[in-house]
Amino acid sequence: MLPVYRKLLRLYPAEHQEMFAEEMMAVLSQECDETAQRTLFVRGQFFLREITGLLRGALRERFRVLFEIQDELSFATGRFAMRNGFRFPKTTIVFMALILGGVLTAIKKGQDIASSVPDVNPPLPVHIQSVHSILLGGMPLFFAFFYAAGLIGWAILFALRRSGVHRLAGMSTEQK
Amino acid sequence: MALYDMSPKAIIESLPLTEPVLLILLSLAGQPQHGYAILKDVERMSSGRVLLSTGTLYGALRRLLDDDWIERFEEEETPRGRQAYRLTSHGRRNLQLEIDRMKHITRLATLRVATKES
Repeated sequence: MLPVYRKLLRLYPAEHQEMFAEEMMAVLSQECDETAQRTLFVRGQFFLREITGLLRGALRERFRVLFEIQDELSFATGRFAMRNGFRFPKTTIVFMALILGGVLTAIKKGQDIASSVPDVNPPLPVHIQSVHSILLGGMPLFFAFFYAAGLIGWAILFALRRSGVHRLAGMSTEQK
Repeated sequence: MALYDMSPKAIIESLPLTEPVLLILLSLAGQPQHGYAILKDVERMSSGRVLLSTGTLYGALRRLLDDDWIERFEEEETPRGRQAYRLTSHGRRNLQLEIDRMKHITRLATLRVATKES
């Protein structure tokens, strides 16, 4: 169980891992030693509890990091005070790309299947045809638009953070 | 936000505590404890009803640390410098507030139920 748990600990944000990972492993190791002599049912319950607890904890920590970022975006002063430790999670970009790829593939497959089936049905009324074509044509555009908007938003925030860091670095040099 | 920055109203709004958090704080109220000892103490105090997973425990500890209810320190008498946790004065004060709140509700509930029965 310990190797599985150690792998799953990587789901936590880096900061949390750095702070608690070894401690969590030590606690789990003690618990494993204690439950080793128990029945299979008890050990199963223990395993399930630990894995679900870890997954829920990792999810909550990820959300917490996201909300902290939101808290620190101060629109009242018109400035973005981004934490130095902030990094846009690379996994999010991968997941977004995978989801977009999946949606586009599904739409393409759907279109292929539709075109391969002989047109035995009577033609659809004009208003239904237009909705159908709008949906098929508009979906990729819709997802591509939000994907691009997300990337642009992230790039702006990243640039603001970088420029802030550079300004601070410049200030400290001038003071010297 | 650290607790010393919070108004009394904000502190009261952070109550009531969930049962696991309350039990973790009660476990630390007596003496500083490390992670495994907290788990076992919570299980003992709740007569085995509340079984915390390691992920749940450290999620709660993380939030309590962030809010300055507890603090973390290195135990001196352990070979690998094990980390332990203790209540801060803010944490103790808020635990006391929660206990007072619960006492008030218990008293009120007892009175109301007694009135209804008579």
